[in-house]
Amino acid sequence: MELKEIKEIKAIIDLMKRNGLSVFEIEKEGFRLKLQRAVPDQTTTPAPSAAPSSPKAAATPAEPARAPREAAETKPLLKDIVSPMVGTFYRAGSPDGAPFVDVGKTVNEESVVCIIEAMKVMNEIKAETSGVIAEVLAENGKPVQFGQVLFRVR
Amino acid sequence: MFEKILIANRGEIALRVIRACKELGIRTLAVYSEADVDSLHVQLADESICIGAAPSSESYLKIDRIMSAAEIGDVDAIHPGYGFLAENPHFAEVCESCNIKFIGPSSRAMQTMGDKNAARAFARKAGVPVTPGSDGIVESEQDAAKIAKKIGYPVMIKAAAGGGGRGMRVARNEPSLMAAFHGARHEAEKAFGNGDVYIEKLIINPHHIEFQIMADRHGHMVHLGERDCSIQRRHQKVIEECPSPLMTPGLRKKMGNVAVKLAKSVGYENAGTIEFLVDQERHFYFIEMNTRIQVEHTITEEVYGCDLVKEQIRIAAGLPLSPHIAHATPRLHAIQCRINAEDPEKDFQPSAGRIDFYYAPGGHGVRIDSHVYTGYSVPPYYDSMIAKIITVGATRINAIDRMRRALGEYYITGIKTTVPFHAAMMRSAEFRDGNYDTGFVERVMSSGKFELVAPATQLRE
Repeated sequence: MELKEIKEIKAIIDLMKRNGLSVFEIEKEGFRLKLQRAVPDQTTTPAPSAAPSSPKAAATPAEPARAPREAAETKPLLKDIVSPMVGTFYRAGSPDGAPFVDVGKTVNEESVVCIIEAMKVMNEIKAETSGVIAEVLAENGKPVQFGQVLFRVR
Repeated sequence: MFEKILIANRGEIALRVIRACKELGIRTLAVYSEADVDSLHVQLADESICIGAAPSSESYLKIDRIMSAAEIGDVDAIHPGYGFLAENPHFAEVCESCNIKFIGPSSRAMQTMGDKNAARAFARKAGVPVTPGSDGIVESEQDAAKIAKKIGYPVMIKAAAGGGGRGMRVARNEPSLMAAFHGARHEAEKAFGNGDVYIEKLIINPHHIEFQIMADRHGHMVHLGERDCSIQRRHQKVIEECPSPLMTPGLRKKMGNVAVKLAKSVGYENAGTIEFLVDQERHFYFIEMNTRIQVEHTITEEVYGCDLVKEQIRIAAGLPLSPHIAHATPRLHAIQCRINAEDPEKDFQPSAGRIDFYYAPGGHGVRIDSHVYTGYSVPPYYDSMIAKIITVGATRINAIDRMRRALGEYYITGIKTTVPFHAAMMRSAEFRDGNYDTGFVERVMSSGKFELVAPATQLRE
C-alpha cells in the first residue's frame, strides 16, 4: 500500500474513533475498503481488493498477506493519559532516578507513570488504563495544565 | 509595581482586570475551565492555564489548582474579581501564606464583614444605624409595646424559630400591636412548637443604596459616592445608576461618613462597598458590606472619572491613594443595564448557546464591558450575564435617553437576551421619574402594561 493510502486510512480510523463509529465502508471504481473497529481480540480486515483505477495494477498475491499485518499496526485506540491537575511534570521519582515509564513499557491501571508536583507536593499519577506506552507527550520539568495529554497508551 | 498578575475569574470581569493590567504594563495569566477555552479573557491574556472541568466547583473554585497555576506562572499577585473566591477568607489567607498579594482586603477584614451578624454588631458598635429591632426575644406585651414605640411603626413581629413567611405579623400602629403580637406567637407555637418572637422595623418600599469605599495601605480612605441598585428582579440587580435619584448632598455626606467610619473600624484596605436600605423618609440602615470590586463599579468610574480596578492594583502594590481618587467629585449621570443571556418572554429562562451575530452600540457616552463576540458560545455553567452597557449623560434624563438609543442598536442573534426588557424599562414613566424601589420590577411586570421592546434596527448580517 502506498504511504498516502495508509495515511488516509489512519485519518479515517481517527475519525471513526472520535465519532464513536464502529464500521466504515467505502467503494469506488475498482476499490473497496471496509474498516471495523475491533474489540481488542478481534481482527480487522481492511480489504483493498484491487488498486484504484487500472485493472492492470493489481495487488500481487504477496500483498494481501501483508495487508492484515499492516491493518494490525494501524489498528487504533491510543488511549490518552491526561493530567488531573495543574503542576510540574516529572518523568522520574527523583532528579537522577530512572523514568517511571518509557515508550514500550507495559502498564496497568495502578502503574505510576509520572509525578506532578503542585505546591511543593509530589503527586504520583497512575495510568488508570492498561496497555503499552506508545507516546510520551509531556516534557520533563515543564508545567502541565488540567486535561493536558501526558502519555498515549496502545 | 507587580510584574505579573493571575486573574482568578472569567467572563467580563476577567477581561476588565486584564485591560487594567495591560494599561499598567503588567503581564497577565488567565486561568480557565475547559468550557472557557475560547473565552476572550483567555485569548487576550499573555499566558493561560487550564485548571479544570466546566463546573465552577471543578475549576474556578479550586484553590489548590489556582495556587499551582500561580506558582508555575510565577505571579506576584492574584485578582479575584467578583463572585467565585473573591470573598473567601480562606483563599485570601492561602495567598497571604504563599506570599502572593491578594488584591483586596485582608482575610481578617473579609471574615469579619462576611459574617452578617458580626457585621451588624460591628456596625452598631461603630454607631452605624442598622435595621432597628429588639435585641432578642420579646417576652411580654409591655416589652412589645415599649420596643415597637422605640423603633417606630410599622413593625414586623417575627417568629424566632420561623421561616417561610410564617409566624410573621405586621403591626402598622399601636392599637393593632397586641393582636399582631399574640397572633404571631400563636401561629409560631402551632407551626414551630416555639412561640418566641422578636420585633423588627418594617421598611416599606426601600431603595437599595450602596457606597463605594477605596482605602490604601497607609490609612487613607475615601468614599466615592453612592449607587442606586433598587431595580432588581428576584433579588438580582438588573439596572444601576449613579447618583441615586433619592440622594441629597446632605444625605450623601452623612451616609458617606458612616460608610467610611464602618470600613475604618475593621481596618479595611482596597475596594469595598457598604450597602444600605433607605426608606421614603430618607432614613438609612446598614445591611451589609461587600469586600470586593462589584459588577456596578463601572457607573462610579464614569461619574467620578476614575479607574477603580487600576486603583485596586496600585493600592495592593503599596502605592498611596491616587490624588484624583482622593479628591474625586461627581460629574454627570451614569446608568448601567446588565445584559443577560435570558429570554424575557419566557420568564427569563437561561438562553445559552452560540452567538451568531453580535453588534454592540457605540458613540458618545456609551461604554460596553463584555467578553462576548460573534461566534462565541455562551456556556451554560456560569451566570448568564454577557455584557454590561453603561451610558453617561449630563443629566439623568440624558443618560436614560442615551441608553434608550444605544439599546436600539444592540443587535445579538443566536441567543435570547434581556435587551428588550431594558429597552422597555427606559421607557417606563416611573423609572424616568426616579420613582422606584426594590419592588418595582415585579410590580411593573405583573401590571399587564409592561411591553418588551425589541431593537428597531435589523442589521443586514
